[in-house]
Amino acid sequence: MGALIFYLLAALTIGSALIVALSRNIVYSAFSLLGTFMGVAGLYALLAADFVAVIQILVYVGGILVLIIFAVMLTHRIDDVAVSNRSVGRLPAALIVGAVGVIMSVGVVGARWAQKADVQAAPTTYGIGDAFLGPYILPFEFASVVLLVVLIGAVVVSRKEIREETGS
Amino acid sequence: MITLPPVNWLSLLPSLILTVAGILVLFWDLWMKEEERPLLAWLGLTGLVLTGVVSFGLLGRNESAFNGMLALDSYALFFNLIFCLAAGMTVLMSIDYLETTDIRPGEYYALILFATVGMVLMAAATDLIVIFLGLETMSMAVYVLAGIWRQRLQSNEAALKYFLLGAFASGFFLYGVALVYGATGSVQLGKVAAYVSEYGSSPLLLIGVALLIVGFGFKVAAAPFHVWAPDVYEGAPTTVTAFMAVGVKAAAFAAFARVFLHTLGPIHAQWQGILWILAALTMTVGNVTALVQTNIKRMLAYSSIAHAGYLLVAMVAGQDLGGAALMYYLVAYGLMNLGAFAVVLAVGRKGEPNEEFSDYAGLGFRYPALGMAMTLFMLSLTGVPPLVGFIGKFYIFSAAVKAGYVWLAVIGVLNSAVSAYYYIRVVVNMYMYEGEKVPEFLSARPALATAIILAAVGTVLMGVFPSASIALARASFLSLG
Amino acid sequence: MVPISYHLILSGILFTIGVMGVLLRRNTIIIFMAVELMLNAVNLSFVAFARQLGSMDGQLIVFFVMSVAAAEAAVGLAIILSVFRNRETVNADELNLMRW
Repeated sequence: MGALIFYLLAALTIGSALIVALSRNIVYSAFSLLGTFMGVAGLYALLAADFVAVIQILVYVGGILVLIIFAVMLTHRIDDVAVSNRSVGRLPAALIVGAVGVIMSVGVVGARWAQKADVQAAPTTYGIGDAFLGPYILPFEFASVVLLVVLIGAVVVSRKEIREETGS
Repeated sequence: MITLPPVNWLSLLPSLILTVAGILVLFWDLWMKEEERPLLAWLGLTGLVLTGVVSFGLLGRNESAFNGMLALDSYALFFNLIFCLAAGMTVLMSIDYLETTDIRPGEYYALILFATVGMVLMAAATDLIVIFLGLETMSMAVYVLAGIWRQRLQSNEAALKYFLLGAFASGFFLYGVALVYGATGSVQLGKVAAYVSEYGSSPLLLIGVALLIVGFGFKVAAAPFHVWAPDVYEGAPTTVTAFMAVGVKAAAFAAFARVFLHTLGPIHAQWQGILWILAALTMTVGNVTALVQTNIKRMLAYSSIAHAGYLLVAMVAGQDLGGAALMYYLVAYGLMNLGAFAVVLAVGRKGEPNEEFSDYAGLGFRYPALGMAMTLFMLSLTGVPPLVGFIGKFYIFSAAVKAGYVWLAVIGVLNSAVSAYYYIRVVVNMYMYEGEKVPEFLSARPALATAIILAAVGTVLMGVFPSASIALARASFLSLG
Repeated sequence: MVPISYHLILSGILFTIGVMGVLLRRNTIIIFMAVELMLNAVNLSFVAFARQLGSMDGQLIVFFVMSVAAAEAAVGLAIILSVFRNRETVNADELNLMRW
């Protein structure tokens, strides 16, 4: 049963990811991203990471995907699609990608796995919250500096130029 | 009731000062009158100088904080000095430059300060995830800074290219972190080091290490991961280019060297080969491509790639000699490069950047001080004794020879010889040709003049009296243990 | 229960597809989406390793990666949109004011 769910989720993840990377229509790409995000969330649940799975849906689907679709809609012009999705340099890219794939498979297959006894899945939320305010307090607090920088940055980049309007 | 873990505030002090300074800049910007805006620069500069002074005062300490996630050691503090130098000089150079652009000073200085916070954290972090957070803070701020001159299309384009390739590189870096975590069971450098020295390497760990090299390679602009650098350096506002070329590179090397020379030191045989190739390739690609450039910012971009190659030679050499040479050379490179960019700014004027080689024609005789300063920086970048560039290269190449990498040192020396061609070309342009470009007099731009003088004095003094600074670099590197 | 290495191979494939997307495509928004695929692959391996090692660290790291990814999305898409506003293109090949 677990194996079947894994293969279904894996197929969903990989299939959607391929559409994202290869589709000639950017709208399909954007919406296929949903499949990958959901598939990965399912895999998290399968790996007993319940809280991560929920946050994956909240952040990726609720936040990032919506942003991406906004960007697609704001920049999308229908006559643009065929041209702007032109791909170049297929051969070198395929070679690099192939090499990366082979190397990683070799690594994963060749690794010596210290297999732990199968841990019983338990809710993780409590432990995660505890760790954020305990041993992980530094990165936790520092993440807020990252967000502050991003907030300022996004405002700077997207603000309408005031001087230009008053100047002319 | 949640009990907070014990906090080592001293280890946070440098980044705290900078963060507070950044927030103050933002707040003050809200209330101040338009014509008072340049004062923000001095507030930022105060924060940076304070951080530098505090870091200098803390030198010699060796503590670990936050469960082994952050270190307060001379290594990090030495790098703090480099970051404060880079950011402080950038601020000095920006005061007059911003007047000629449509960049708003408030966010600009705040982002410089926050980028410096990221750098400080990268140098002090002893946990791959904290390194990552520092890296992203720095990168995010610099992406925006590269595109902050919004009416200039090249600036926009630079931000976009830098962002896309930066995010791509972050992906590789993180995958490397994930594999290291999987192979060793921890992302804390201390635990990774303990694992590595006990069990050696495994295929999974090695792939992780290779991916980390790709991630760092992008950030330090090592060939073949350098393709973004020339466009971004050319397109970004010149002050930001200087900041990127010196600050970002130093921060990336700070984390790179801590992870590789220290944590992964026991398995250096496995990664030295890759770095050897990267170093040779980076030096050669940087120098050879720089030969054909006609735009001085682009030439300096390729030159900074070439210098990343020399720094990689120091990484390959490793041990305390290589480490000390790396740190010394970063200071040297910072001084001469910041100086060169300051001169580029001085030659430009509002609406007339004057960035082509031909724009420098005849400047040497008509503006002797400017000509002298540029000649000094170009000679130092070439590596002419007794300037700081020569001493730095000398330490790097002798470290490489001592560690048995004679061929790499030979390649480096040959590359240095090639680089003379394009550096000297600037000087030749200034003194051998007639031109009519009229830069604004430096006396009208005192902050910029100060920056040039500081860089020039540093370039000469550190070259003539290198022993104190090389001793400091060595002691700082040894604090890694 | 599927062996952990299956998850890792899946994550490797996902990462590879992401890399492929970045290298093959010229639309900046698609390049960005491909980067998100790479980050998802990274997170998947972190969670898989956390399960494997029986430690919580991997899951905690995922939150940091996610918050940075969200931050990256905000800044990145803002930059893409501002370029689009100025240049009316999101095609990386057309961004050739400087040699690419």
